[in-house]
Amino acid sequence: MVSKVARRHHNGKLDMVFEPRRGYTRMPHVFQQPPLKASRELYEGKDPTATVFVMESSGGMVAGDRNDITIRLLPESKARIIQQSALKVYRSHTGETCVQSIDVELEEDSRLEWMPEVIIPFADSKFQMETKIHLKKGATLLWGEIIAPGREMRGEVFDFTSLKSMMKIYVEEELLAFDSLRFVPDDIHLNGLGLLEEALYVGSIWLVSEKAEEIDLRAIHEAMNVGDGLRAGVTRLAGNAVHCRFLGVNQWRLQQEMKRVFSELSALI
Amino acid sequence: MKQQNDDSSNLSNTAAIPTDIQFLRLLQIHDSAFPIGTYTQSYGMETYIQEDAIRTKEELIAFCTTFLYQNLVYGDAILIQEAHQAAKDRDIDRLLHLENLCGAIKLAKESRDASVNLGRQFIKTVSPLVEDAFFDEWKNRIAANEIKGHYAILYGIYCAVNSMDAHYAVLSYLFSSVNGLVTNAVRAVPFGQNTGVQAVHVLAEEAVAAAGIVVGLTEADISNNALGIELASMKHEYLHSRLFIS
Repeated sequence: MVSKVARRHHNGKLDMVFEPRRGYTRMPHVFQQPPLKASRELYEGKDPTATVFVMESSGGMVAGDRNDITIRLLPESKARIIQQSALKVYRSHTGETCVQSIDVELEEDSRLEWMPEVIIPFADSKFQMETKIHLKKGATLLWGEIIAPGREMRGEVFDFTSLKSMMKIYVEEELLAFDSLRFVPDDIHLNGLGLLEEALYVGSIWLVSEKAEEIDLRAIHEAMNVGDGLRAGVTRLAGNAVHCRFLGVNQWRLQQEMKRVFSELSALI
Repeated sequence: MKQQNDDSSNLSNTAAIPTDIQFLRLLQIHDSAFPIGTYTQSYGMETYIQEDAIRTKEELIAFCTTFLYQNLVYGDAILIQEAHQAAKDRDIDRLLHLENLCGAIKLAKESRDASVNLGRQFIKTVSPLVEDAFFDEWKNRIAANEIKGHYAILYGIYCAVNSMDAHYAVLSYLFSSVNGLVTNAVRAVPFGQNTGVQAVHVLAEEAVAAAGIVVGLTEADISNNALGIELASMKHEYLHSRLFIS
């Protein structure tokens, strides 16, 4: 039953600032507003990289909800951010769109890894995400994301109303890459030739590094474990950047391969 | 593909109809023999051909239709329209922004390179034919390597300084792009000449409908849903034998 009582929108906020302190990267400044929350910094042995988990305590976004995340890495800091679970976007019972905005600023010689988690747009949901990443000289980025067609196991495949995704990467204020997807299943046949075809899941990896030039992309390409419903490609963007795209029928298979490529690239930069 | 109806997509009653000489100039620059290298580009289509995914006329039309509606309409066509307006306004900052954007949206390296190669060939070919200070200024920026010289931007400027209407600039660009793809598919698959002719006949109507969509779009609408084609363009770099450079 559709509730007639107006529900207050959630506006999750998370502002994180990382900086190096006594050999480790710390997150001394964090502002969090529910349902978004960040874990404290975790470390693996002597690695100075701060690992932080981002949590969404509401269980998902509902019509008109917003999530605003800002991440700032001061010079020479290193952070790895992991989303604790998939991002669920519920049916838009009011017709309003859920918005997720992520703004990242990477200062000189900083390094950020954002591990791919899945975005699941439920049937009749409306979702818009905008990610902007600004890098200064010497900064390193490794970023992944995966878009699901819906709750596939429940037979929800491209039943959402709209999904818009915008990714902009700037290096020294120059726009290096702009990826903009607009999936409105009522307007386009996403399984058409040249679109997603048989694929249901879309995965992307973005890498910016001063070492990008040295990466042998042919070797990466040839090592990709494709076939059996998974297609993948890798290409060099302008400047010191690399982009990988994965189109897959099976979520688990796509995620496993993306994680493998992610780790492979992470070790090279 | 959703299409607008004939009434709303037929803009010939609102757009300035080209003069006879403008019409012929457009025919000339979009002729397949015009030396900008269109015949060397497949924009990922060759990957599909090698994977045996384009075997019939229907598949060829389907590929070109996706490229038209999901890539060109929401990419180059918007940029041509915006560059045309910026050139009319003599707004260099806006053009520099569009030039940058044109490279940023082309994620696959070969498609991005194709855009620059066509642009560089185009400026080399037309610059002895154009006398316009604004056009020369853009040409000098390319020569000085200040900008890459993406084809869509240059073409929009060229049409603007020659007072050609933006609608006809976009319409002829869309048609010539799919026409070029079909010509290349006829050679590469191969298809008979009649299959190519029939495909282009169908695609002409799609180009008209597509141009009808473009007129209502702005920079904010730029997107690319043709992920299969983009992926094919990325994979094309690593094909073992290739007829085309993209």
